[in-house]
Amino acid sequence: MSGRCPFSSRRGFLTAAGGLVAAASSGLGARAATASPGRDLTEPFLGEHQGGIATPSQSQTYFAAIDLVTTRVSDVANLLRTWTIAAARLTAGQTAAPLGTDLSVPAADSGEALGLGPARLTITFGFGAGLFVKDGNDRYGLAAHRPEALVDLPNFTGDQLQEARTGGDLSIQARADDPQVAFHAVRQLVRLAYGAARIRWAQTGFSANSAAGSTPRNLLGFKDGTQTPGSLDDVVWVGAEGPDWMRGGSYVVVRRIRLVLEHWDQMETDFQEQMIGRHKLSGAPLGRSGEFDALDLDATDKDGNPLIPDNAHVRLATAARRSSVADTPTTTASISPPNAGRRGGREWSTIQDYFSSATSAIRGPGSSGSSIRSRSSMRSISSPRTPAAACSPARGACARTSSSASVCSIRPEAVTPPAAPP
Amino acid sequence: MRLIINLRSADAGFRPRAGGAMRMPGLRGRLTGLSVVLALSASGTALAAAPAGGLETMHRHTTVTSTVPANGDQNPYALIVAPVSSGKIHQGDVLIDNFNDQNNLQGLGTTIVDYNPETKALTLFAAIPRHLDKCPGGVGLTTAMAMLKSGWVIVGSLPSTDGTTATKGQGCLIVLDSQGHVADVIAGPTINGPWGNMAVVDNGSSATLFVSNTGFGVGAPGQDVVKQATVLRIGLSIPEGKPPVVISQTVIGSGFGEQADKGVFIIGPTGLALGGNGALYVSDALGNRVAAIPNAATRTDSAGIGHEVTKDGLLRRPLAMVMAPNGHLLVTNGLNGQVVEIDPTTGRQLQAQWVDTDKAQSPPGSGDLFGIAMTPAGDGFYYVEDDMNTVVLAH
Repeated sequence: MSGRCPFSSRRGFLTAAGGLVAAASSGLGARAATASPGRDLTEPFLGEHQGGIATPSQSQTYFAAIDLVTTRVSDVANLLRTWTIAAARLTAGQTAAPLGTDLSVPAADSGEALGLGPARLTITFGFGAGLFVKDGNDRYGLAAHRPEALVDLPNFTGDQLQEARTGGDLSIQARADDPQVAFHAVRQLVRLAYGAARIRWAQTGFSANSAAGSTPRNLLGFKDGTQTPGSLDDVVWVGAEGPDWMRGGSYVVVRRIRLVLEHWDQMETDFQEQMIGRHKLSGAPLGRSGEFDALDLDATDKDGNPLIPDNAHVRLATAARRSSVADTPTTTASISPPNAGRRGGREWSTIQDYFSSATSAIRGPGSSGSSIRSRSSMRSISSPRTPAAACSPARGACARTSSSASVCSIRPEAVTPPAAPP
Repeated sequence: MRLIINLRSADAGFRPRAGGAMRMPGLRGRLTGLSVVLALSASGTALAAAPAGGLETMHRHTTVTSTVPANGDQNPYALIVAPVSSGKIHQGDVLIDNFNDQNNLQGLGTTIVDYNPETKALTLFAAIPRHLDKCPGGVGLTTAMAMLKSGWVIVGSLPSTDGTTATKGQGCLIVLDSQGHVADVIAGPTINGPWGNMAVVDNGSSATLFVSNTGFGVGAPGQDVVKQATVLRIGLSIPEGKPPVVISQTVIGSGFGEQADKGVFIIGPTGLALGGNGALYVSDALGNRVAAIPNAATRTDSAGIGHEVTKDGLLRRPLAMVMAPNGHLLVTNGLNGQVVEIDPTTGRQLQAQWVDTDKAQSPPGSGDLFGIAMTPAGDGFYYVEDDMNTVVLAH
């Protein structure tokens, strides 16, 4: 197991328009997977923790948020049992259920992953707030079991959430080194849920195949994941502070963030570095030469102005990380999305998923609580600020593209709802 | 008029903020060590006097707070420093209102936040209902805001329903008590889009407000410049424990240019500041000038667009404005991130400092600096950075 927390950075979780294409056409990604000698590799399904959280990053992701439509808690329990069995098979490279030989009935598996191997597939299930209470209704008698730490995200400046792509009662994250394997897994699980649940929204993703030991680069061209927040036990796994059924589980936030990369590409490199707080090529903190050189946030020029700007990504991320570890190690948050498109012209947006953990609201200097949470550098990076009305519909630059879901991940052996009170 | 670019040491005169220089080495390379001095005179003679006690003394720029409340309102506009403690407000607190709502639509912001420099806490001072019976068009808080010694806070509204002037309402002035509750609404035929930084003469039991109106004759974006903006003087009587009562209204300035704008909603006279000589200085954005209205507190007629104090030079659509303790005006530019220091008695533009160097805009910092206010000690100034939804202290 990698010592680096896969939640600790956004690396490995980037989802972009390119990912959508790859999933739809099974083109480049599928060919790469076919050529990969690792397609027969498996990741364990059973264990102390669910797979797909601390697992070394796979290259492909398919994430789905699920709405429960049944009114009976027994249906939910049966669904989760069914999913558990199917997921165990799928991660072993098998079909979701035995195919059988009767050709006069629908097949138990659609078959598109036959011959592709397990490709290190992991399947991670999550419980969303809607499992516990939906529209104020304790429909399954589970309200009392909602973990205290499973809180709604606060507003982030620039949020433009789409209701249809926000929230969900359950989640499935499939990760593999073959996009079709990941897609297939989610499709089979959704199929098994017919009558009890239906898919609400989904998002594909990919991550870089970086050399072992190197820090991957994100779509902004910067190394992403140099800093890690601490040990998995400290910042990922739920311990004694959580309910018994959550021990060894975790929390995840999924948020689609639009980056206006055309605008970003036009920014001078040194300005990009000021926004991130690191040098682009080396990944070193501003003013330093080595990627892992210490980040000196107190360094100032002769006038006392910070060498790493107040709103630099590394400064805000560090503040968030410090507060999270000290205060609420299981609280999750994500980087806030941009609030504007580019000034005029055609906009080409990239959608990304950010999975992160153990960060509370992004805080800045002199702020209290979450008051400055919105000042994520990502917003500035991706927000070619035009005076005041950048997001006006009249400018046609601000499609509402963001969504989020907050779910808790759970141990495999706990993939049944906590018992409803008598 | 001549523009003089004077080479000086880096320790004197115009320079981009130090932090900003780090953020934009390109600009630093061009500007550090330069002192840009513009001298104006009627004869056209260039004068390059060394400024004293002004911008050149302020080297640090510290982000002190976000301005976004829990409801997600954005785009900080008005920025004032509380003259007294009353209700929720402590003397010296910084009050900031938001012009945009959480969807970043202009003319729909309804909140005022309070930043306490001692505790560094940001709290919500007021969340005004989107619609008030006596405020035509609803509520979208503008750069017009003042707090009186009696504790009352008065804020302007130039509302929209779609983020543009196509749906703009006439607006109003809203009177809030020091708990942030709406106490009264001031509206009428002389008020249409109260917009600019409010200047105040406050005698406790009475007060005089000066506010620009940029809504008269303004339609949807794309419209030509309309020369109907006014400067209105409002006389208030403030009975003990009761909201201010309007006792007089006089249009003391008129015919200023105003224009609907897709990007910045509306362009018009924005900065208002009183001089010791009884003049009210007006930043005439479309005229790219600063004008003076003589005898502002006492005159009984309109001075039209006033007489010109200074024009062009370092000015790039002058926006927010404040009077510094040294008697100089600090004027922000709408079309770049600079603050320009002007001696209003001579009309000299003394120096400029590039305080907002955000290169995400071109030129850096364009359209960000809608609010500026001096610190109580007069040793620095606060300004809003609209692009970041923050308040920065220059000191």
